[in-house]
Amino acid sequence: MKNVLALIAMMMAFTSMEAAHAATVLITGANRGLGLEFARLYADRGWDVIATCRTPSEAGDLDALKAQHSKVVIEELDVTDQSEIDSLAVKYKDRPIDLLINNAGILGDLGDQSLGSFNHEEFKRVMDTNVYGALAVTQAFKDNVIASEHKKIIAMTSVAGSLVGPWQNLGGLYYYRASKSALNNVMRAVGIDLKKHGVVVGLVAPGAAGTDMLREDFKYKGPMISPAESVAGMVKAIDGFTQASASHPINYDGEVLDW
Amino acid sequence: MRHILAALVLVAGMLGTQSAEAATVLITGSNRGLGFEFAKQYAEAGWNVIATCRSPDQADELKALATKHNNISIERLDVLNEGEIAALAQKYKGKPIDVLINNAGILGDVPTQTFGSVDRANFDRIMDTNVYGAISVTEAFRDNVVASDEKKIVALTSLMGSIAATGPSHTFYRASKAALSMSMRVINGHLRRDGVVVGLVAPCVADTDMLKEFGYEGPMTVSAETAVTGMRNVIANLTQETAAKPINCDGKPFEW
Repeated sequence: MKNVLALIAMMMAFTSMEAAHAATVLITGANRGLGLEFARLYADRGWDVIATCRTPSEAGDLDALKAQHSKVVIEELDVTDQSEIDSLAVKYKDRPIDLLINNAGILGDLGDQSLGSFNHEEFKRVMDTNVYGALAVTQAFKDNVIASEHKKIIAMTSVAGSLVGPWQNLGGLYYYRASKSALNNVMRAVGIDLKKHGVVVGLVAPGAAGTDMLREDFKYKGPMISPAESVAGMVKAIDGFTQASASHPINYDGEVLDW
Repeated sequence: MRHILAALVLVAGMLGTQSAEAATVLITGSNRGLGFEFAKQYAEAGWNVIATCRSPDQADELKALATKHNNISIERLDVLNEGEIAALAQKYKGKPIDVLINNAGILGDVPTQTFGSVDRANFDRIMDTNVYGAISVTEAFRDNVVASDEKKIVALTSLMGSIAATGPSHTFYRASKAALSMSMRVINGHLRRDGVVVGLVAPCVADTDMLKEFGYEGPMTVSAETAVTGMRNVIANLTQETAAKPINCDGKPFEW
């Protein structure tokens, strides 16, 4: 009897230890590219993964990941749809989210963001998705992050979103690059705001990762790294983020980027 | 007779010199605040001033200024109205514009750009006006600037638009200025091969209606007049080197 009790006590201790260790990550745009790699990496770590995307019915790769990992949950979320954001926030109310990764973003049509053929609707689409979308999702889930253990919020920026450096003499990609500068400013402001709750808000950049966005949308032909390598580098930066180190964007290779 | 001829040549020479030296500036949002002050100072300095604003009918101060200076042309231009931009560009087609000042901008509603109660309609309106408005005006008049002597394009930013110095208020206004900075830097990258310099200038803490609308209660460090005198000086000295950072009205660059 004493042995049984001890065993039960031990099992309870294990269970509670496990519960304390099972962190949760919410990732937007998790159906492909870097978002999918983030989902895979955290699932491999044993985290609970809330993988969101616009159209779960078309997210075959994510379905395959879920089949391998019971802790992956797929949720429908278009970051430009406020009612979808609100419903998901209600569904997960009071559930601690240790890490929120604002990964969803678009490059935008290249022709519409060339000087001489600007298009207002495309400008709005890129800004709404890349900047307002990240802010709206962060606002909706901030209490979940505050209630968690890790308390981290991340957004994806880019070396092309830096106002200093070799990119400056390159024309083009106006809306995408402006959206990343605006996002940098917004996330930094959110970080200052949430600091009092112990939340760290950081920006990471993926380098030239061979995603659909870079290869197909941008038609990039230069040297690339794999999405898995890029994400492994960014997760290393996220793991190490403190209030101090999150004061500037960090590239996947550890390089600190200028604003 | 020889003296008369000499005098005629001299007069003709002076006329020629004067027309070669009368530079042209186009200013958006010139009905009030810094835009108005830019129009006033450039007109007093002898420049041809194309002073644009959304509602010339209601721009009483600007109209009064134009009656004193015959080198001011008031034009209707809402920077969000693509039809108005295209019509004005057509009207000035082939006319060199030495300095284009993208001054028009809004602060937007304050409560709905505060984290915790943000609203997308307010976000769109601020981004559209402060960023898209400036880049579409620049797109429409870039050939006029390329055809000029000075070849300068500036946009008004603010120390509040510095990412390095950002804070947890006026989030959309700040974000719009960061996006504007990037957009203008990309335009610079595109047009520098034509000899154009694109710069970001800031008015210090200038005493304007907009700053009062911010709810700003601290000291106004400069008058609108001093801020604009300072920014005109910054614009006059603008080069690819100095334009690598935003510059305040006191001539000091600050971080992006």
